Amino acid sequence: MSALPANALEASYLQERRRQLRQRLRRNITLTIDYGIMIGLAIFFLFPIVFMVVSSFKPEKAIFDDLKTITWAFIPRDVTLENFTSVFRRVPFGQFMFNSTFIVLATVSAGLIVNSMIAFALARLRWKGKIIVLSLIIALSIVPLDAIVVPLLVLVNEFPWIDGSIGWLDTLHVQIVPFIADAFSIFLFYQFFIGIPRDFDEAAYIDGGSPFAVYRRIIVPLSRPVFATVAILQALFLWSSYLWPLMATRGEASRPLTVGITSFYGQDVKWAQILAFASMITIPVLILFLLFQKWFVQSVVASGLKG
Amino acid sequence: MTRLLKLSIALLILLLLIMNAALTPAQDMVELELWYHGGTQEENDETRAQVDRFNAMQDEIQVNFVELAGSLVAGTGYNDAVNAAAVAGDLPCILDLDGPNLYNYAWAGFLAPMDDYLSDELRADILPSLIDQGTYNGKIYAMGQYDSGLALVGRMSLLEEAGLRIPSSIDDAWDLDEFNDALAQLQALESVEYAIDLKMNYGAGEWYTYAFSPVVQGFGGDLIDTETLSAEGVLNGPEAVAAMEWIRSLFENGYSTLTPPDDNEFINGNAAMGFLGHWMATGYYEAFGDDMIVLPVVNFGARQATGMGSWAWSITTQCEHPDAAWAFMEFMLTPEEILSITNVNAAVPGRLSALAMSDLFGEGGRMNIFVQQLESGIAIPRPITPGYPAVTSAFFTAMDNIIKGGDIQAELDAAVDKIEQDIADNDGYPVQN
Amino acid sequence: MKTSQYSNRHETIYAWLMSAPALIGLFVFVALPLLGGIYWSFTNKRLISPLPTEYIGLQNYWNLLGVQVIRLDPETDAATGQVQTDLDGNPVYPRTRAIVRGNPAYAGFRLWFTKDVLGNRYVVLARDPTFLRALVNTFVFVLVIVPGQGGLALIMALLVNQRLRGRYVFRTIYFSPVVTSMAVLAIVWTFLYNPDQGLINRFLGAISFGSIKPAWLVSADSALLAIIILSAWQAAGFQMIIFLAGLQGIPQALYEAAQIDGGNTWQQFRHVTIPQLRNTTVFVIISTTILAFRLFTQVDVMTKGGPQDATVTVVFHAVDTGFRQQKIGYGSAVTVLFFIIVVSIALIQRALLKSDVEVE
Repeated sequence: MSALPANALEASYLQERRRQLRQRLRRNITLTIDYGIMIGLAIFFLFPIVFMVVSSFKPEKAIFDDLKTITWAFIPRDVTLENFTSVFRRVPFGQFMFNSTFIVLATVSAGLIVNSMIAFALARLRWKGKIIVLSLIIALSIVPLDAIVVPLLVLVNEFPWIDGSIGWLDTLHVQIVPFIADAFSIFLFYQFFIGIPRDFDEAAYIDGGSPFAVYRRIIVPLSRPVFATVAILQALFLWSSYLWPLMATRGEASRPLTVGITSFYGQDVKWAQILAFASMITIPVLILFLLFQKWFVQSVVASGLKG
Repeated sequence: MTRLLKLSIALLILLLLIMNAALTPAQDMVELELWYHGGTQEENDETRAQVDRFNAMQDEIQVNFVELAGSLVAGTGYNDAVNAAAVAGDLPCILDLDGPNLYNYAWAGFLAPMDDYLSDELRADILPSLIDQGTYNGKIYAMGQYDSGLALVGRMSLLEEAGLRIPSSIDDAWDLDEFNDALAQLQALESVEYAIDLKMNYGAGEWYTYAFSPVVQGFGGDLIDTETLSAEGVLNGPEAVAAMEWIRSLFENGYSTLTPPDDNEFINGNAAMGFLGHWMATGYYEAFGDDMIVLPVVNFGARQATGMGSWAWSITTQCEHPDAAWAFMEFMLTPEEILSITNVNAAVPGRLSALAMSDLFGEGGRMNIFVQQLESGIAIPRPITPGYPAVTSAFFTAMDNIIKGGDIQAELDAAVDKIEQDIADNDGYPVQN
Repeated sequence: MKTSQYSNRHETIYAWLMSAPALIGLFVFVALPLLGGIYWSFTNKRLISPLPTEYIGLQNYWNLLGVQVIRLDPETDAATGQVQTDLDGNPVYPRTRAIVRGNPAYAGFRLWFTKDVLGNRYVVLARDPTFLRALVNTFVFVLVIVPGQGGLALIMALLVNQRLRGRYVFRTIYFSPVVTSMAVLAIVWTFLYNPDQGLINRFLGAISFGSIKPAWLVSADSALLAIIILSAWQAAGFQMIIFLAGLQGIPQALYEAAQIDGGNTWQQFRHVTIPQLRNTTVFVIISTTILAFRLFTQVDVMTKGGPQDATVTVVFHAVDTGFRQQKIGYGSAVTVLFFIIVVSIALIQRALLKSDVEVE
């Protein structure tokens, strides 16, 4: 690290002024380029979604006619709510929305407790076997759900439920319980917990707290960002799940949105209705994200998800 | 934070319990579950209405209509769900099945034969093609309200403009040369984009097998040997290769498109003709009125062949009340109910007595060609074998690859290998008793 | 120095108690199905069949991996012994099937591909060409998506990390596909990819005066590319957020020091950002790799692995054979092989990228 070059300090006012101008010009050019790229990327990332939403307000035939010119593809000429009313007429959209929301909320909230507790034990308690447990969890985080659906299906079909019935198929809990414990979430919690200074626990132990009390009073309050991050990641995963509910549910009573939309993609494809359905799934989540966006990025920053 | 979490968990569990309780049925009448594949919107509405009528007319049996989600066409959603349920031993009482899939389920022991329920009188009145379709190993396992019809449709005005001979019955159907010529003439018309809509928007799936195996048969080939169930030399023989070459030429010549955006290319006027199942015919008629004409299936040379077989109802072996299930089936098979659905989906009514009452399908009716096709024996059922799922999947995959540029002989050879492999994997599908 | 009143034994009890719910969940819903799959992979278990399940050892694995290469000799004229040629003067080869069929050494083998090397024609036979193709496709997908999507994500993160007006809006836009479910997006993109009527080709046609018109999902040449583009589009926003978190975790003082040293933007990027982002990058690479190996939903909704197996992936093949074709035993073997491959790659990556991201 060298000190400032001496000649810069001695530069005349004129030279300094010229340098500033040049710098400003350069900054403006980079700024223009940056915005150019950002807007280009924004178009790339947004056009399918904008097209989807705009088209959902068009009559079926107009979608195809308007495609002949690219501009009109993004502008609704005669706005209609027909597609949305058709969706509501054809399927219990509210029920699907409730199911999806309920599944996500239930799984995420239970998962936060279950996964953070084991991560606490792994990160901050001394016990035999924790290395093995940790390695197993990391190995299990690699198993893709799609690849174990068939054995899982056969398995849950044999399980009893609290109301005395046997077999979990075609229920909400079959979409919840298997996904509460999540290896990847445990790993994220673990990464965060291990970074919290030990001094905090020591103080609590001296005050006579149990390990569980340390978890609840010290670790959890210190770890809000990682809780938020895990919650969001799990919620996104669950909100999108597709193969499992397709196999494990039958009727509309327990059907989530992602399976609900496939019935529109069937024998008589009505694109306008599909797009209306898709828009109704997407927009609420987008609004939620827009509202909490700043906070979400901060959580990820603070959670150490970056590694 | 934790207190809040605990509270919300408790609330959620409570909610779950309440919902479970709410979903548990009352015990005072026989409840039957029925699974339905979806169908077109109109078909779906009418089938629901039929179930409602059955539930309303008596108070001992309650049929619960469950429409399974399934992207029938692009995917295999319905079959996926049925397979999943079969594995889990969670099949409903009454199951809606696309014709040829029943052999596999029947072989596996999931379907109950209904011969004992079927009176001689009823049996004599059922369309023979439906009996054939529903029979496996000498027993009847499924019964549909209707049979399907595959046909060529066109618009009279365009056919006349192109100066084509218009056949009126299956006996004077176009031959291959005439058909090729018709395609070329229609393609040349200013007012259309291409000559024929082949419904490729359905994607690689059952549609290919249903609609194009008759073309293979028309050229003298077949999917499998109906005696030995083997595909070697049949599906990859020179006749099948010729059929595939011709099918691919339709796309290469621009007579048809591989990627119609939706189901409406004929209605939109983009395509001059349509090759389609009966289920589209009503909509087409509404769009064009008497200008729409149903043409008999083309004679490709070796024989005249067309598709048949449709969705049918079956009773599963997991059903605890088969008698009640049959009571429902009997209701669905009354001529009135048959006509109420076929008037909506334009399928061929499944009973002779219903057929006689139908304006559409009766003698001189607009859809009479479909009946002629079924009665004259040119309609051929899809392979009657428990290995059907493998046969259809091998065929439609090969065809999809071929029309998208694959080597014809190699693809058909691969399809044969897959079918043979499947037979070997199942020890030759020994008959179970 | 541990001053806790709690002995090791107490800690152990607490540790197991607090681990129990998650361990039970993972054991029952992940490990058991996986163990079940491993067990089934040694049998011929079928989904719905009246036939009894039999133990068949490693047969499923041989059926997946079996490969043979044979050299084809051109047809020769029986009388003259001369090589027969077609109209273009190329030698005529016998149909592979004529050789393979009827020769017990090749029983169960199918044509995978042929390749002309140094004037000889070689035929590669496989017992399950689709599985091998799935392996190739999956690796291609991973090798393209990991650097491609990661690079795109890094660029986006750098752009929206600047104190520019509207950065929050851009972040939201780039992230928006992530919050939309893939099953839905795949349906929408199928529509966009329609070669004649789809928006993408309308646009490409407009800027190229109709000269660029890929068939996208309809052609074996472009289908995998189409899936790759959709996948990168959908997920890049996620990696962007992680990179953004990494960028914001870099102490501002480091940049200030670099500025004082007279470093320009590039030098700052090269000497501050890149080294500081090392851990983030490792995390992104490892997590993207694992996720990319799982490619399934897009393929299932859009192409079902076609055309000509161009988009078939390992997970798709596992589901297709194990569930749709009802061969659970066989599909389980695919899953087991998949698991072994991904674990090995994760281990190799960890070793190569060894850094302070270590677990312990």
